[in-house]
Amino acid sequence: MSSDLGPEPRHQPTVMPHAEAAELARRHGMTQVAVRPSLGGYLREIWRYRHLMWSLAKGEVVSQHRDNYLGVLWSVINPILLGVAYYLIFGVLLGLDRDVDNFVAFLTVGLFTFSFISATLTSGARSLLGNVGMMRSLAFPRVLLPVVKVISEFVNNIPAFLVLVVIALITKEPVTWEWLLFPVALLIVVVMGLGISMLISRAVHAVRDLANIVPLITRLLRYVSGVFFSIQVRFASIDDAPRWVGLLLEYQPVAVSLTLVRETLLQGFELRWQTWAVAAGWAVVLFVSGFIVFWRGEGTYGRA
Amino acid sequence: MAVPEDAGARTAATPAAEEDRIPSVIVSHVDIRYRIYGSPKRPEESEEEGAVRRLLSRGNQAGLGVQEVHAVKDVSFVAYRGESIGIIGRNGSGKSTLLRSVAGLVPPSSGTIWLGGRAALLGVNAVLQKKLSGRDNIWIGAQALGLTPAQVRRRMDDIIEFADIGDFIDLPMSSYSSGMAARLRFAISTAVVPDILIVDEALATGDEHFRARATERIEQIRQQAGTVFLVAHSRKRINQLCTRVLWMDDGRLLGDGRPSVVNGLYGRKYGRHRQVWKERYEQIERVMTEQGPEAARELLRRWEPEGNW
Repeated sequence: MSSDLGPEPRHQPTVMPHAEAAELARRHGMTQVAVRPSLGGYLREIWRYRHLMWSLAKGEVVSQHRDNYLGVLWSVINPILLGVAYYLIFGVLLGLDRDVDNFVAFLTVGLFTFSFISATLTSGARSLLGNVGMMRSLAFPRVLLPVVKVISEFVNNIPAFLVLVVIALITKEPVTWEWLLFPVALLIVVVMGLGISMLISRAVHAVRDLANIVPLITRLLRYVSGVFFSIQVRFASIDDAPRWVGLLLEYQPVAVSLTLVRETLLQGFELRWQTWAVAAGWAVVLFVSGFIVFWRGEGTYGRA
Repeated sequence: MAVPEDAGARTAATPAAEEDRIPSVIVSHVDIRYRIYGSPKRPEESEEEGAVRRLLSRGNQAGLGVQEVHAVKDVSFVAYRGESIGIIGRNGSGKSTLLRSVAGLVPPSSGTIWLGGRAALLGVNAVLQKKLSGRDNIWIGAQALGLTPAQVRRRMDDIIEFADIGDFIDLPMSSYSSGMAARLRFAISTAVVPDILIVDEALATGDEHFRARATERIEQIRQQAGTVFLVAHSRKRINQLCTRVLWMDDGRLLGDGRPSVVNGLYGRKYGRHRQVWKERYEQIERVMTEQGPEAARELLRRWEPEGNW
């Protein structure tokens, strides 16, 4: 006789020991929740949820354009306005248009491609923490969240990429067979974006303060990646700079992506196998490492 | 020791009965902690104490602006097929967190959960995408529950009909009333008959007509050998719908058993007659020390004839 049923009951029901519970679960073939699946199992699961991926991406695109009158038109207007601003500041005011022929096409290709890459960075960083509510309501492989962000950003940028072709035509770039490589180059950039997005989303989920550094990183990348100037020309004008610094600047993932896309549309940039090999290499390395890093954290997302 | 009648009986039942029933959810020693950001200091600490404590606290665990909330503490239970289990407890006692964990949505910090089948959670807090239309959300929700596009197309009309929100189905969710949103969620979650259905206070909203249909649907799922978990604040609904009740209090599982018994326990702690019970237990303490346990037991039996004293 004790008073643990009293005004403040403290009694806890009888509990089955853990080993016995595990045995019971095994006997009935039950599955444990919230554990990381094997790599193969994870891939199969993603395949099973591929339709959900498209629905989520579609939803993402729709909800981004729903709140204003001009809707999808903004994804054309915005980059053009940005291009004009950059042209005035960097081309006219700072005179960087001496570096290359056809500065307008050079600038817009760099700017629009960079906009896509920076969008994958910012939205990838938010992809897990911004969807905690959804993660707490629906069960699906969480890697869909950063992937969906990249897909929807790419779809948002398709009008801008079409504008690039128009700009190339207007600025009298000759139409060559190399233009057919333009979509291929974009594909390589998308694969790179997927890797970046998966990496940054797990990092920000683990240490959410990192989200504050992401804008700084994108700004830095904007200035060092040769969006509005030619790295080669600028670097050559510096006396006795170590050569490896130049190579590093030229072949880091973002800069090499911009060169890659420029080589397909601009005559001033010849196709070079070095660019394509390095870009494809970065894409594979970032994608594979991003996927594995993200997969290693599966089963922990959502508690935050 | 006085064990509340039937409270432990479900988990420690006779082996024969245990063999017949098929478990659908096993929760073993589950703890759930999560981090809260931006609440650096407890109010009762003085400035120096706080500083010292922060210095002594290990690593970044209780570092700048981070606090840990221990939402679920060492909870274990086994749920079987065909059961419909009510969860009671005050606000913030860890009910929703526990159920989200059972649904595989919030990973437990320690302990293990096994499921025998697919779980579908439906809650007032379930976030559908506000900017998207009801129809778009049905696509997302139903596919997340594992339906293929063909299956979604086939069931779309059924889902819309059950949700009963008329022309609003093609408007963004942000224009829905809370009742309409709850109906849509319920319709989506039960589009596939899940093995384990978890209903988190969704029936509190919605009108009388919808509640009747929802009750019917829950009963249907239960009869198809599924397990239903139901969070509700109304004792009447729990008694109506549930065969078993779990009582969560401050993250702990305090009661597990038949609805009348657990509700009785709950009522003793928080109910209207709390004062009466307090006096009774004080009296029992007195009788115990003065006249011995036998007399106290006699007294208890008079108050609670059903009890296993």
